[in-house]
Amino acid sequence: MSAIPSDSAPARREAEGWIKLRRLLANWQGMTGLVLVLLFFASAIFAPLVATHDPFALDIPARLSGPTLEHWAGTDQLGRDTYSRVIYGGRVALQVAAIGISVSLVFGLLLGMLAGFGPRWLDNFLLLLFDVVRSFPTIVMALAAVALLGPSLNLVLAIVIVTTIPGYARLVRTATLALKNTEFILAERALGVGTARILWRHVTPNVIGPMFILAAMDVPVVVTVEAGLSFLGLGVLPPTASWGSILNEGYLLIRETPWPVVAAGVPLVLTTLGFTFLGEALRDIFDPRLGKGR
Amino acid sequence: MMDAPRPDHQLGDNLVEIRDLSVTFETGRGPVRALRNVNLDVPRGRILGIVGESGSGKSTVIWAMLRLLAENGAVTGGRIDFNGRDLLQLDADALRAFRGAQAGVVFQDPMTSQIPVKSYLQQFLDIAYRQKASRAEKIAHAIAMMRRVGIPDPEQRIAQFPHQFSGGMRQRTGIAMALLMHPDLVIADEPTTALDVTMEAQVIHLLRELQREFQTTMMIVSHNLGLVAELCDEIVVMYAGEVVERGDIQSVFANPSHPYTRALIDCDPARVLERTRILPTIPGELPNLRHPPRACVFVDRCPHAFARCREEKPRLNKADEGHVAACHLLDGVRPVMHAAAPAPAQDEVVPAIAGDVAPLVAVRNLAVSFQVRGPVAALLNPGLKTSIDILVDVSLDLKPGETLGLVGESGSGKTTLGRAMLGLVKAQAGSVTFKGRELIGLGEGELRPLRQNMAMMFQDPIGSLSPRQTVKSLILEPFDVHRPASGNRDALAVRLADMVNLPRDLLARYPHQLSGGQARRVGVARALALEPDLIIADEPTAGLDVSVQGDVLNLMRRLQTEHGLTYLIISHNLPVVRHISDRLAIMYLGRIIEMGDATAIFARPAHPYTRALVDGIPRPDPTQRRRLVSIEGEVPSIARRPQGCEFNARCPHATDLCRAEMPAQQTLGDGRMVRCHYPLID
Amino acid sequence: MCGGRLAAALTISRTPAPMWSYFVKRLGLSAVIVLCALLTLFLLLHLIPGDPARIALGPRATPEVIARYAEKMRLGEPILTQFWIYVTNALTGDLGADVFSNRPVLTIVLEVLPNTLVLAIVALAWAALIGIPLGCLSAVRPNSWFDRVTGLLSVATIAIPSFLVSIWSLLVFAVMLKWLPVIGAGDPGDYLDQAVHLILPAFAVGLGWVGYLARMVRASMLEVMSENYIRAARAFGLRERTVVFRYALKVAVLPTITLVGIGFSGLLSGAVFAEIVFTRPGAGKLIYDMVVNRNFPVVQGAVLIITALYVLITLAADLLVAWLDPRVRDSL
Repeated sequence: MSAIPSDSAPARREAEGWIKLRRLLANWQGMTGLVLVLLFFASAIFAPLVATHDPFALDIPARLSGPTLEHWAGTDQLGRDTYSRVIYGGRVALQVAAIGISVSLVFGLLLGMLAGFGPRWLDNFLLLLFDVVRSFPTIVMALAAVALLGPSLNLVLAIVIVTTIPGYARLVRTATLALKNTEFILAERALGVGTARILWRHVTPNVIGPMFILAAMDVPVVVTVEAGLSFLGLGVLPPTASWGSILNEGYLLIRETPWPVVAAGVPLVLTTLGFTFLGEALRDIFDPRLGKGR
Repeated sequence: MMDAPRPDHQLGDNLVEIRDLSVTFETGRGPVRALRNVNLDVPRGRILGIVGESGSGKSTVIWAMLRLLAENGAVTGGRIDFNGRDLLQLDADALRAFRGAQAGVVFQDPMTSQIPVKSYLQQFLDIAYRQKASRAEKIAHAIAMMRRVGIPDPEQRIAQFPHQFSGGMRQRTGIAMALLMHPDLVIADEPTTALDVTMEAQVIHLLRELQREFQTTMMIVSHNLGLVAELCDEIVVMYAGEVVERGDIQSVFANPSHPYTRALIDCDPARVLERTRILPTIPGELPNLRHPPRACVFVDRCPHAFARCREEKPRLNKADEGHVAACHLLDGVRPVMHAAAPAPAQDEVVPAIAGDVAPLVAVRNLAVSFQVRGPVAALLNPGLKTSIDILVDVSLDLKPGETLGLVGESGSGKTTLGRAMLGLVKAQAGSVTFKGRELIGLGEGELRPLRQNMAMMFQDPIGSLSPRQTVKSLILEPFDVHRPASGNRDALAVRLADMVNLPRDLLARYPHQLSGGQARRVGVARALALEPDLIIADEPTAGLDVSVQGDVLNLMRRLQTEHGLTYLIISHNLPVVRHISDRLAIMYLGRIIEMGDATAIFARPAHPYTRALVDGIPRPDPTQRRRLVSIEGEVPSIARRPQGCEFNARCPHATDLCRAEMPAQQTLGDGRMVRCHYPLID
Repeated sequence: MCGGRLAAALTISRTPAPMWSYFVKRLGLSAVIVLCALLTLFLLLHLIPGDPARIALGPRATPEVIARYAEKMRLGEPILTQFWIYVTNALTGDLGADVFSNRPVLTIVLEVLPNTLVLAIVALAWAALIGIPLGCLSAVRPNSWFDRVTGLLSVATIAIPSFLVSIWSLLVFAVMLKWLPVIGAGDPGDYLDQAVHLILPAFAVGLGWVGYLARMVRASMLEVMSENYIRAARAFGLRERTVVFRYALKVAVLPTITLVGIGFSGLLSGAVFAEIVFTRPGAGKLIYDMVVNRNFPVVQGAVLIITALYVLITLAADLLVAWLDPRVRDSL
C-alpha cells in the first residue's frame, strides 16, 4: 500500500525519455543534426552578436572583395559584408520556418482530426481539398500568385502554410482513422468517453510524435522554398538579406566573384542537412514504423 | 527424382536428428537464449508434433532447421542432421536444394505468406524451376496437385491470385505448394491457427491423408494439443526453450510424465467433457530467457518441485515404454503424480434462473448492414448491392445473472451483435432494451449515463488499452468520465487492482509493458470499475496461452458470483465457452441458428452446423481420433448469401426444401430454439 | 483482429468490380484538380481589389491594351459569366492571347514546352537509372558499408536544393572550368549541341532524385523483404535472384511509381529553376519572364498547362500501379 505508484509513473516516462535522448546522442547522424540545428538557431537568434558588420553598411572601396580578415566571406557589389548578411539571412529562414510550420501544424492537426473523426462527407470534402492542394505544382502556382500580388515575405509565408498543411492534415487524418477503428478507441467509446476527451487524451498523444518528426523533416523544404523564391526575386524585398536574395545577387555577379554564391549556399545546405539528419534520427528512435529508411 | 515409397518405419531410422541445438536472439536488452540444448528425432515416415505455449521456442526449431531465423537470431551450438547431413553446414546451393525440394513448408497464415502480386501458376512454376520437365508438364503437375488438395476447378483457378481465394482455399493451396516437389519432409508451422474450426478439421484430415499417400515425414508445430493428438504419431513438448518430454503420442497422452505436460493437458478445455465452471490453470510465469535458470526450467511453476529441482537440471529420463521426460521425479524413486492444478472444486450452487424473470437485456429482430460501396461505384454498377447484411433478424434475451455464450466462426456477425447491443455499431432495424429501456435510436449523450451499467471487454487484451496511458489512469478512467471526484484515487486504483489480482506495481506501467494475461486483467478491472449489471466480453481468451485462459475465465466467474453480473461471452472457441456458459447461442452468417441450454446443446446438437462445430473440436486424446470430417466447404461470403437455408450447401442432410426455403425459427421440446427444417433432435 | 478478418472477407467477396470504376473515380479527381486550378487562377485575379485588367497587365500596359484585355475577358459582365466563359474557353483550348504581342498563349507555351519536357524526362531517367539500383543493392545488404555510403550520399543529394545545385554546377563547370556551355538549349538543328546544353540542367534537376529514389526503393524493399511471403519464397528454395528481383522488387516498385508520379511536381519546380539559372528556354523560364514583365495572361495559361500536365502524369502513375497490382485491379 505504501508504494502507490502515483509519482513513479512520470519518473518511468522520464527514464524512458532519457534513454531515447542518449540513443539520439549516440547516433552520429542524430548528433550532427542536433549540432547543426542548434547552430542554425543560435546564429539566427544572436545574429547581432555573431555578425561582424552591419549587414546594410556599404564599404564601396572594398566592393567585390574575396575573403579577407576584415570581410570573412568577401563583399558584394555594394561592398556589404557577405558573412554578416548571411548570418542575418538566417533570421529570415528561421522566421519563415518557425511561423510557417507552427501555423501549419496547428491547422493540420485540427483539419486532420476533423476529417478523421467527423462525418463521412466532411472527410471526403477535406480529403479532396488536400489532394487538390498537393496536386498543384507548388513553385509554379507561387509564381502565378507573385505575378499578381508582387513579392513579399508574407506571400512566401502564405504559400508555405497552404502547401504544408495538407501533408500534416493527411498524416493526422490517416492516423485518426486508423485509431478510430482500433479496439482501444472503441473501448473508450463503450465506456462512454466523449469525443473531445477521446481526441485530446487518446488520439492526440498518438499522432503528435509523428507530426513533430514530420515537421522537423519539413523545415528543409520550407527553408528551400523561401530561398528559392527570394532567389527568383519573388520573396523578400531588397535590401533585406536572405540566403536566397544573396544567392541571386551572387548569381548575377558569378563571373566576377564566386564568394557570395558559395557563402549563402553553405548555410542553406548545412541547415537542410541538419534538420534532415535530426528528423530521421528522431524518427528511427521514436517511431520506427514511420519509415524503415535511414 | 524422389525415392520409391519408403518401407515401414523402422526403429532408429530417423530422417531428422537434432542434437544440442542452441539458438540465441540478440535484443536491445541483452541476448535471449531462445533454445538451449534441444534434442529431438523425427522418425522417417511418421508425423512429429512439437507442442508448446508462446515462448517455448517451438517455431524457432523449424526456422533454425530451414536456416531462416530472424536476422538477430543465430545458432550458437549443436547440429541438425537431415538424411545424415548437417543442415547447419550446407553451402548456399545445397541449402536451396534442401528448401522446397527435400523439405516443403506449410505456413501459419496463408494470407501473408503468399505473394499477392503473382498468380498461383507463377508461384508454382517458380517453385518447380529446378524440375527437369517442360513448362506444360510442370503446369499439369501443379494442377494435379491443386486438385489433390481439394481445389475445385483447378485448371481455371490456378491462374488466379491469392486474394481471389478464400482462407481455407489458400491454406489448401499452400499445402499443395509444400508438396509440389514431393519432399521427404513437410514442415508445418501452426497450419490451422489462422483458420476456423470447421476448416481446421478439414486441414487436419487432408494432412493426414497426404502423409499416408506420399509417405512423407512431417513436423507439425502447434500450440494446439488437440491438433497434435489428432494428427501426430510422435510428440515433443517444449517449455521455455527446452524439450521437457518426448515420445510416442499414445504413451505421452496416456501417461504424461512431466508436470508441465500433465498441466498442459489438464488445462485444455476441450479435454474436459464434463462441463465445469472452474478451469485448471498453471500458476506462475515463463522464466526470463535472458537469464535462463540453471536447474529445471519449470521449477517455479511446478507443484512437485523439491530441493534437487532447484540445483540440478534434469536429464531426459525414461518415463514409459517409448517416451522420455526431463524430470527428476522419474529418476530413482517415483512418487505418485497427481493432477497439476488443484482439482476443480465442486461448483457453488448456481442460483437457478427462473423462467419468468424479466430479461435484463432483450434483443428483438436486430438487423445491421454495412455500406461497402461508395455512391460512385453504385452509380456505375447499378446491379451491385451497395451494402451487405451483417446481422439479420437476431433476437435473444439475457436474464439477470446468467451467462450466455455467443459462438460462431469468422463472419458470423457475433462481434457486430455485441457492439450493436451497446450502440457502438448503428443498427438498421430491430430493438434492444436494457432494463426495459429502448437503446436503439438513443444519441450518444443519452447512452452515456447508461454505459455505467453496460461494460464491454474487447478482443485484443493489449490493443484495447490506450497505449499512452498508464494502467492506473486506464483503470480510473471510468470514474473520471462518470463519477469525477470519487475519493482517493490511489486507494481506488489499488482496490481495483486487488480485485482482479493485478500486482500493484504494474499500476505505473504502460500497456505494451504488460503480458497478455495482465493486460486482460486491466480490461476486466476497467469493465468492472463502475459495477455494471451487464458485461459483454468479446473473445476474452483470444491471444492467451492455454494456461492463462483458465485464469481469466475463473476470475470472470468469481466476479460474477461476487457482483451478480450478467455476461454475454462472444467466442469462436466452443470448448472454452461451454464451460462457463449457462446457455449457448450459435451464429451462422448473421443469424442465430440454435440457442438453448449449454450442456444440452453440447451433448445433443439440434442444428447440423452446431453438430459440425462440436465435432470439429480436436480432442487432446489420440485414442479418439475422428475418422470423418463432418462438414465440407467453408462459410460462404455474407455478400452472397445462399438461397434457402444458408447452410444448405454444406449440410449433409440438405433437401430440396432446404435449397428453396429459409427455415423458420422453431422451439423444440427442451425449450431450445433452432432454425432448421430437419432438426437432429425432436 | 476480427474486424480485419471481416474486412478481408468483404474484399474477397466483392464481385470483381470493373477497373473502370476506379478509372472513372480517378479521372473525376483529376478533373476536379484542373477545375480548382482554373478557379484559383481566376480568383487570384478577381479577389485583389482594383481593376483586374490593370492588375493582370501591370503598370507598363497602355490604355488600348487594357481595353483590349477587358473586352476579351468580358470584364464588364457579371463575375459568374466571366468565370463560365473563362472555363469553357480554357477547356476548348483557348487560353487567350498575349495582349502585348497578340499571339495565342497556347502557341507561346507549346513552343517552349518540349524543352521543359525533355529536361524533366532526361533528369528523371538518369536519376532512376542510378537511384533505383542503388536502393535495391542497399536493401539487399542493409547496414553494409555500401548501404551506409549510399544512405549518406542520398541524404546529401536530397538536402542540397536543386537551384543551388544549378548555381554551383554553373559556377564550377561553366564559369571556372569552362567545360560546358551555359546559355540556351543549343542549336535547334544540332542534336549534339542540344545534348551538351542539356547536361548541366539535367544533372542539377536529377541529382536530388537519385537520392530520393534510392531511399524510397530501399525503404520499400526493406519493408517487403521482411514480409512473410519473402520468407516463404526462401523456404521454398527459390534462387536469391528470384526472391529479390522477381518477388520483392515487383512489390516494392509499386509505391515508388506512385511517389514518382506525385513527385513530378517537384521535378517541374526544379526544371523552372534550372531553366532560369541556365537561361534555357522552357515553360519555367517563360513563366518567370512573364511574371517579371507583369504579363498575367501568359502566366495564367502556362500555369494551367503545367498543372494539367502534372495531373495527367499523376493519373498515369496511379493507373499504372492499379494495373500492375492485381489486388488493386480487382478490389477497387
